[in-house]
Amino acid sequence: MMAAIQKRAFWVWSAFLYIFIVTPLICVVLASFNQESVQSVPPLQWSLRWYGEAIRNPNFVRGALTSLVVATVATIIATPIGMLGAFGLWKSKSRYKAAMDAFFALPIVVPGLVTGISLLIVLTAADQSAGNVKLICGHVLIVLPYVIRTTLASLAQFNPSLWEAAETLGASPLQVLWKIVLPIIRPGIVAGMVFGFILSFDDVNISLFLVDARTITLPISIMSYLQFSFDPSVAAISTILIGITFVSTLLLERLFGLKRLFAGG
Amino acid sequence: MTMYPLQAAAPERRRAVRISSAFGTSALLTMPACIVIAAGVVLPLAYMLILSIQTPDPGEATLTTNFTATSYVKFFTSPFYWSVLLKTIWVASVTTAVCAFLGFTLAVSIWLTSPRWRGLCVLAVISPLLVSIVTRAFGWMVVLGDYGLINNLLVHLGIIVTPLRMMFTNFAIVIGLVHVFLPLMTLPILTSLDRVDRNIPEAASSLGAGALTIGVRILLPMVSPGLVSGITMVFSLSMSSYILPALMGGADSGMMTTLIYQQFVVTFNWQFGAALVAILLATSLGAVALLIFETSRRTRRWMARR
Repeated sequence: MMAAIQKRAFWVWSAFLYIFIVTPLICVVLASFNQESVQSVPPLQWSLRWYGEAIRNPNFVRGALTSLVVATVATIIATPIGMLGAFGLWKSKSRYKAAMDAFFALPIVVPGLVTGISLLIVLTAADQSAGNVKLICGHVLIVLPYVIRTTLASLAQFNPSLWEAAETLGASPLQVLWKIVLPIIRPGIVAGMVFGFILSFDDVNISLFLVDARTITLPISIMSYLQFSFDPSVAAISTILIGITFVSTLLLERLFGLKRLFAGG
Repeated sequence: MTMYPLQAAAPERRRAVRISSAFGTSALLTMPACIVIAAGVVLPLAYMLILSIQTPDPGEATLTTNFTATSYVKFFTSPFYWSVLLKTIWVASVTTAVCAFLGFTLAVSIWLTSPRWRGLCVLAVISPLLVSIVTRAFGWMVVLGDYGLINNLLVHLGIIVTPLRMMFTNFAIVIGLVHVFLPLMTLPILTSLDRVDRNIPEAASSLGAGALTIGVRILLPMVSPGLVSGITMVFSLSMSSYILPALMGGADSGMMTTLIYQQFVVTFNWQFGAALVAILLATSLGAVALLIFETSRRTRRWMARR
C-alpha cells in the first residue's frame, strides 16, 4: 500500500518536472499569437499580427543575416579542422592521448563569458576591430569541439577490420579514409556540424563582447529589444527560432542520438 | 603504394608505420585544431591573467613589465565586492543543489520509462539547451511576470489578490538557471544509471525496501560518478552565467558576471575586470577541485572498508 503511494507520488512528481521544463517554451509560442500588444497567456484574441511586425523589424532581419553568415562561416572553417583533429586523435598511440582529448574539450569547459572577454582583450591589443572577423574567431571555437566530439564518437564505433579488409584489397590509406571511413562516420560529422551551427546561431555569451554596432547578431538584437519593450514580436521571432531548432533537433536525433551528444559514451 | 605487398595479416607495427608515413603522423593531423584552441582559448586566457596584474588604466589593453596587485587588493579589501562574490557562490550552490535533486529524480524516471518513450523524454529534457538563452529568459518573463501565467492563474483561482513579485528576484535567477542546466545534471546521471543492473532494485524490493529506500540507499550511491560530473558542470556554469542574471535579476543583480560586464563595457577598466574574471575562475575551479578530491577520498575509504 505504502509502496503504491510512493510510486504514484513519484510519477506525479516526474510529470511536474516535465511541465516545468516545457512551460516557458510553450508560453513563448502561445504569446506569439496574441492580438493585443500586451502579453497574456493564453491570448484573448488570436492573430498572426506580431509575426508581420517581427519580420518587418529591420534590426531582427539584419541580426538574422549576420547570425546566419557568422554561423555558416564558422561551421565551414571548424568542420575540416575538427575532422582532422579527431582522425589524428583516433590514430594516435601517444600516451598523451587523454590529455589531448581534454585539451580539445577546453572551449566547452572554459565559460563563454571568459572566452569572449579574453578574445576581446587579445583582438583589441592586436588592433583587430572588424566586427565580423572578431565574431567568426569566437564562433569557430563554439563549433569546433562539437565536431571533434561527434566525429570521435563515430570513429570509436568504426569496425577496424573494415580498414584491414580494404587494405588487403589494395587500397591506400588515403583511399580507405576517403572511401570507407568517411561515408561510415558521415552522420556523426553532420550531427556535430548541425549542433555546432545551432549553438553558434543562438550564442550570446561569447558574441556579447565581440559584436559592434554594424554586426549585431539576432539573439543580441532580441536581447536589446527586450530591455526596452516587452511586446509579442519577441515571442513571434522566438517562435520562428524554436521551430527551426525543433526541426534540426529531430534531424540530429535521427542522425546521431541526442544522449550521445551530451553525455558522451 | 605498390611498394607494399598485399599481405593478409600485416604485423601491427608495420601497419602503424605505413599509416603514419602516408598521412604524416597523427600529431600533424591534430595540429590545426591544437593551434586554433591554443590561439583562441589558452593564449587569450594567459594574456588576460597577465593583464589583471597591471596598473588599472581605463581604455588600455597593452602589457607592460610593471606588475602590481592593485586590482586584487581593491577587490579583497572591499566588503561590497566580497558580498558580490558570496552572493554569486550562494546562487550557484542553490542552483546546483536544486538541479542535483531534480536531475536525480528525472533521470530515474527516464530510466524506468519504456524504451519507446525514452527518446521523447530525453528530447524534452534537452530542449532548454537547444533554445537560445534569450528565448528562455523571455519565456520565464511570460510565466513569472506580474501579469504572467502563474500570477494570472493564482488571481483567477482567488488564492491571491495582488500579483506576487517573482520576476527580477534571486528566485527568478535560480529558476532560470535550474531550467537550463537540468539536462547537464540529468544526462550524466542517466548514463550512470544505464550501467546499473535492473535486478538490483527488484532484489531490494523483494527484500521489503520501499521506493524511497531503493532510490536513496541503492540507486543514489551507484550513480555518484554521474552526479559528481553533473554537479561539477552545473556549479561552474552557474558561477559564470551572465545573461540570465542580467535579464531575469533586474538591472543590478549584483553577481560577479554582471560586475565583470560593467568593467568591460561600461567603465572600461579592463585590468580590474580581468582580475574579477581570474577570481571567478579560481573560485569555481577551487570548489570543483574540492568536490572531486572529497569524493575520491570517500571512494577510497569505502573501497578499503571491504
